[in-house]
Amino acid sequence: MTHRTQTPDSVASQPPSKKDRPAGKCLLSRRNFLFTSGVATATVMVTVGSGASAHEIPAMVATYPRKKIAKLSALKDDEPLDFEYPDEGAYAQSMLVKLGTEAGGGVGPRKDVVAFNNFCTHQGGDLAGTYKADTKSMGACPLHLSTYDLTRHGILISGQAYQSLPQVLLELKGDDIYAVGVFGLIFGRYDNLQG
Amino acid sequence: MSTPYYIPETNVPLPPKGADVITTACDYCIVACGYKVYRWPVAGGRDGGPKADQNAFGADFPVETLGPWVAPNQHNIVLHNGKPHHVVIIPDKDTKFVNTDGDSSLRGGCIAQKCYNPQTPTRDRLKSPLMRIYGILQPVPWDFALDVAAEVGNHVRTNHGSNAYGVKTYSYQFIENTYAITKYALRHINTANFTFHDTPSDVSSTPGFRDAGFDNFGPAYEDWMNAETLLVCGTDPYETKTILWTQWIMKGIQRGQKCIMMNPRRTAGVAYAENNGGLWLDVDLGTDLLVVNAIARVIVENGWQDAKWIEKWVNNKWGSSSGFGQGTRNTPWQWRTTWGKFQTKGFDDWKKWLLAQDEFKPEHAAKVAGIDVKKIYTAAEWMAKPVKGKHPKTSIMIEKGFYWSNNTGNTQAISALAIAVGAGGRPGQVVGRAGGHQRGGQRGGKYPRNKSPMKVPGRRRRALDTDTWTMSGHTRFAHVIGTTWIQSMCGSQQLAKRFEELTVANPHQVRSYDKQDIIDTLKRRADSGGMVVINQDIYLVDPIGNRYADIIFPAATWGEDTFMRANGERRLRLYNRFYDPPGEAKPDWWIIAELGKRMGFDGFDWKNSNDVAEESARFSRGSRKDFNMIKVAAHREGKTLHQKLGEFGTNGIQGPVFMKGDGSLEGTKRLHDTTRKLDPEGPQGANLFNKKLTHFNSQTGRCNIQKSPWSLFSDYWEWMKPKGTELWCTSGRTNERWQSGFDDRRRPYIVQRWPDNYVEMHPDDAKARGIENGDMLMVYSDRVPSLKETTLGVEGSDYSFTGQMKAGNVELTRAAVTGVAMVTRHIKKGIIYMDFLHTSQPANALEGRIVDWISGNYNYKMGVAEVKKIGESPYKKTFRSMSFAPRDII
Repeated sequence: MTHRTQTPDSVASQPPSKKDRPAGKCLLSRRNFLFTSGVATATVMVTVGSGASAHEIPAMVATYPRKKIAKLSALKDDEPLDFEYPDEGAYAQSMLVKLGTEAGGGVGPRKDVVAFNNFCTHQGGDLAGTYKADTKSMGACPLHLSTYDLTRHGILISGQAYQSLPQVLLELKGDDIYAVGVFGLIFGRYDNLQG
Repeated sequence: MSTPYYIPETNVPLPPKGADVITTACDYCIVACGYKVYRWPVAGGRDGGPKADQNAFGADFPVETLGPWVAPNQHNIVLHNGKPHHVVIIPDKDTKFVNTDGDSSLRGGCIAQKCYNPQTPTRDRLKSPLMRIYGILQPVPWDFALDVAAEVGNHVRTNHGSNAYGVKTYSYQFIENTYAITKYALRHINTANFTFHDTPSDVSSTPGFRDAGFDNFGPAYEDWMNAETLLVCGTDPYETKTILWTQWIMKGIQRGQKCIMMNPRRTAGVAYAENNGGLWLDVDLGTDLLVVNAIARVIVENGWQDAKWIEKWVNNKWGSSSGFGQGTRNTPWQWRTTWGKFQTKGFDDWKKWLLAQDEFKPEHAAKVAGIDVKKIYTAAEWMAKPVKGKHPKTSIMIEKGFYWSNNTGNTQAISALAIAVGAGGRPGQVVGRAGGHQRGGQRGGKYPRNKSPMKVPGRRRRALDTDTWTMSGHTRFAHVIGTTWIQSMCGSQQLAKRFEELTVANPHQVRSYDKQDIIDTLKRRADSGGMVVINQDIYLVDPIGNRYADIIFPAATWGEDTFMRANGERRLRLYNRFYDPPGEAKPDWWIIAELGKRMGFDGFDWKNSNDVAEESARFSRGSRKDFNMIKVAAHREGKTLHQKLGEFGTNGIQGPVFMKGDGSLEGTKRLHDTTRKLDPEGPQGANLFNKKLTHFNSQTGRCNIQKSPWSLFSDYWEWMKPKGTELWCTSGRTNERWQSGFDDRRRPYIVQRWPDNYVEMHPDDAKARGIENGDMLMVYSDRVPSLKETTLGVEGSDYSFTGQMKAGNVELTRAAVTGVAMVTRHIKKGIIYMDFLHTSQPANALEGRIVDWISGNYNYKMGVAEVKKIGESPYKKTFRSMSFAPRDII
C-alpha cells in the first residue's frame, strides 16, 4: 500500500485514516446485506431541464440497503445528524441535515432534508463537523479547502474535488426517513457496495 | 460540447498488477504536477482487484486518506496502437517535488477526461485537415491543405512583404512545438508581425522586473513556503495555481508565515490567509501602484529597509549608468520611454523621489484604493520591521491581476519595494511571478525588431502590435496556432468585426473544386486587401476557426506525442505519449515542418519530436531552462534527450542544468542565488555559467532600483474609472475552469458547475439594480476605448492616453456580454468579476484595447461596465447546475 506519511509541520493535514477500520475487513458483504437488511432496488428519478421541458429520467439502478436513519419530526433546522451508509465499513460515515430551504434531492414537506457522505471526494479529508448553516455547505475540507453546496446535490463550490460530495438518497415514509442509495462514488472505494 | 446534466458513476475499474505505468505532468497550470498514467487493454477484461496484490497501486481498497483513490473522472478509454485501452490518470503518489503528498487540483486531477474518446464530449476533436469550400469547412487530405497554405503564404510573403504574414501562437505548448513555430516564423518567414497568445506584441510581460534585474521565475517553490512574510499581488494561488498553494504556501502559513493578499476578491486562499493571521489588501482596480509605494514609503520613513543588502546588491549612481552595451544609454527602460522617468542614482535617490510624491502618502493611497489605511502600515511592518535587530524574511509574488492593471508602473513599483525589503536572491527571500501557463517556450529565431514600423521618437523600435496592424488591414495571411486570438485580446468584439470584414466579407471566396483555382482565389483575396486565415488547433474554435479560417490543421496534443516542458520553478519534465492522436491529427512541430519544406525552407527534416528537442537544446543555453547539458549527458550515454529526461520521471530537474565532474547532472534550485557557490574553476566542458545564477539580470549584476511615476498612468485611470452607474469590471480565471474551457466545455461535471459565464457582484450593487442570484444579466459599455491605428505622435507625451485621445486615435466602441448573476460577499463593492475567456461570452470585450504606452501590453484587468437584468437564467430555480454559494468559506 502506498502510504503518504505527513511531515510534522503540515499542521492542518490529517494522519492517514480510515476511521480505524482496516481495509476489506469491516465492510459488510453484499451477501450479509441480503440476509440482514433486506434489499431495496431503488430507481432514483432525477429531474432534468426546467419549466415545460422538465422530465424525469432514471439516474441509476442499483442495489442498496434500505436503512431507517431518522424521524422527520425530530429534526431541527441546521442540526446535522450522523449515520452510516451504505454499510458500516470505511468511509460510510454520513450526515443528514434539515437545511430549512429547498434543496435538490430534498425530502419532507419543504424538500429540505438531505444527506451526504462525510468524506471529501478529492483526497478523502473528513468533513464531519464542517456544516455551515449560513451557506448550507460542507467544508472547507481541512486538507485542501474544498467546499460543497448541499442545496445543489453536493456540487463543488470551490476547491479541488473530482466530483460532487456523494449524496445519500432519501425516502420519506410517514415520519420515517430511509436512506436508499448513494449518488456518486464514495472516496476510497472503487465501488460503493464493494468497498 | 457537454450538456450540464452530469450523472456520476458509482464504481470505477482499477488498473491490474502489471498495467503499463507511464509518467507525465499535468497539461494545465504553471505548477505542472507529476502524474502517472496506468494503462491496460480493454480486451480480455483483466481489470485489477481491491486487494493489494490485485492492482497496480499495490494498495488495499478502500484506500487510505490521501491514498491512490480513483475517481470515475480519472478513468477513460483511449486507443493505443489502434487498440482500446483503459487509462487511469492520478497524481503521482511517489513524487518528491511540486505536488508532494500526491496532491492535485480538480483541473489536473480529472485530466483523464482530456483524452479523446468518441463516446465522450471530446468526440468533436479535429481529426482531419479542413478547407472552407463553398462556405463550409470540408475535410481534405493533408497534402492538399498544406500545398494550398504554403503557396498562398509564399505569395503573400513575396508580394506584400514578410510583415503581411502574421503568426499568432501559444507561447507554452511544449518546447518542441514552440521551437519549430518560432524557427519558422522568426528565422525563416522573418516576420515582425508575430506575437504570443496573451499580448498584442512580442514584449516583456513584466517590464519592471526586467529593468530591476529579476527573472520572472527565479524562485523555488520551497521559497514561497519558507518566507516569513509573503505579499501576493493580483492572484489567489489557491484558485489559479492550486498546488503551489496547498503544498507550499499553505504549509508556510501553518508554520506562522504572514500572508498578505492584494486582490479585490476574497476567494478561499485570501480567506484562509486572513483567518490564519494574514491580511487582505482589497484594493480597487488599477490602484496597486499607489498602495505599493505607500507601503514602501512607510518602510523608508521608519528606516526599516534592509540597508546592508541594499548597499551590497543595489546599483548606486555609477552602477546605474555603467556597463558596456547595457548602460544607461542602452537599457530596456530607455528603449521604452522618456529619458529619466525611471532611472535613479541609487537607493537614496529613489527614496528622495518617493518621499516627494504626495500621492504615496498612506492616507491618500488608501483613499484612492478604497482600503483601510491601517492595512498599509501593517503590511509595511510585517514586510520590513526588524524584530530583535533581524529583518523578516520577505518574499513577493505577482501575477496578472497586478501586472495587467498598470503593466509598467505596477511592475516598477513592486520591484523597488522588493529591493527595499531585500526580497530576491536568498532562500525564502525571493521575488517572482506566480505564473499562468507552463513554460514551454524555446525560441528558434530572433524577433526581427528592425522590421517593425512601430517606433517612438528617440527610442528603439517597438515590437509590432499585431492587433492594430491587423485592424489596419496589413495582415494578409494570418497563421493562428492554438489560441482564440480574438476573445483573448481586449476590445474583442471590435476585433471580430474587422476579422469578418477581411475574411468572409471579402468577395474572393473559394467556390471551386480545382486546387489551382482555390490557390488563385485566396491569392486574389490577399491582393485585394483581404486576409487569408489558417488555424492549427485541437478543436474547432469559434470564431477564429469556425467562422474565419480558410484552412484548419488538426493538432495532436498532450499525451499524443512525447514533449518537454518546464514549470514555474523551471522544473523540466518529459510528457510521454501514451495514446494515439485522433484521426489524422499531427503535432504542431510536424505541421510546421511540412509547411516549412513546402515554403522552400531548410532545416525542417525532423523525424520525431526528440529530433526537434535535440536541435533546440543548444538554443536553450544560458536561459532559465537551459537543458543543453541533458542532451550532452544523453549522447555520452548513448541515449536520446527525451530518454535521458524521462529518467528523471515526475521529479524532473530544475533548469539551468549543469554537468558535474563525474558526468551526473545538477539542477538549479533558484536563480539570483546569492548564497550559491559555483565551481571556482569556472564552467567545465559545455557548461555555461552566467550572471543570473548568482547575481541579478542587470548590467552590473546588482539590482536597479527605479521610480514608478503614477502620472504615466493616472490619466488613463481617471478617464476609465466608473462614472455614474458604471461598475469596475474585471475578469480572471476560476479554479474549476482552465483558460478558454477548451477541455472543460467537454467535461460534463465542469459544465454542470459552470454552464455559462457569471457575473460576481457585491450584494449592495445587486440590490441597487434589483438583481438576485441566477438572474441573467447584460453587461455592457458605450465606452470601450480602442486604438484606431498604431500609437501616433511626435513628442514623448503624444504617446500617452491623453495624447492619443487628442490625436483622435482613440475610438470609443461598444460591447455587450451576457452572464449569470452571482451575488456574493466575496467581491469588493463597486467591482464585478467575470470569467475572462468564456468564448461565447467574452468578458475581454469590455476591456479597453489600449496598450500600456510604455510596454506595449494590454491592461486587461481594468474596464468598466453597466449591468442590468434581462431575465432569469435556468439556474435560478433549479438545483442541478451552478452554485451561488460564496468562494470564501473556510
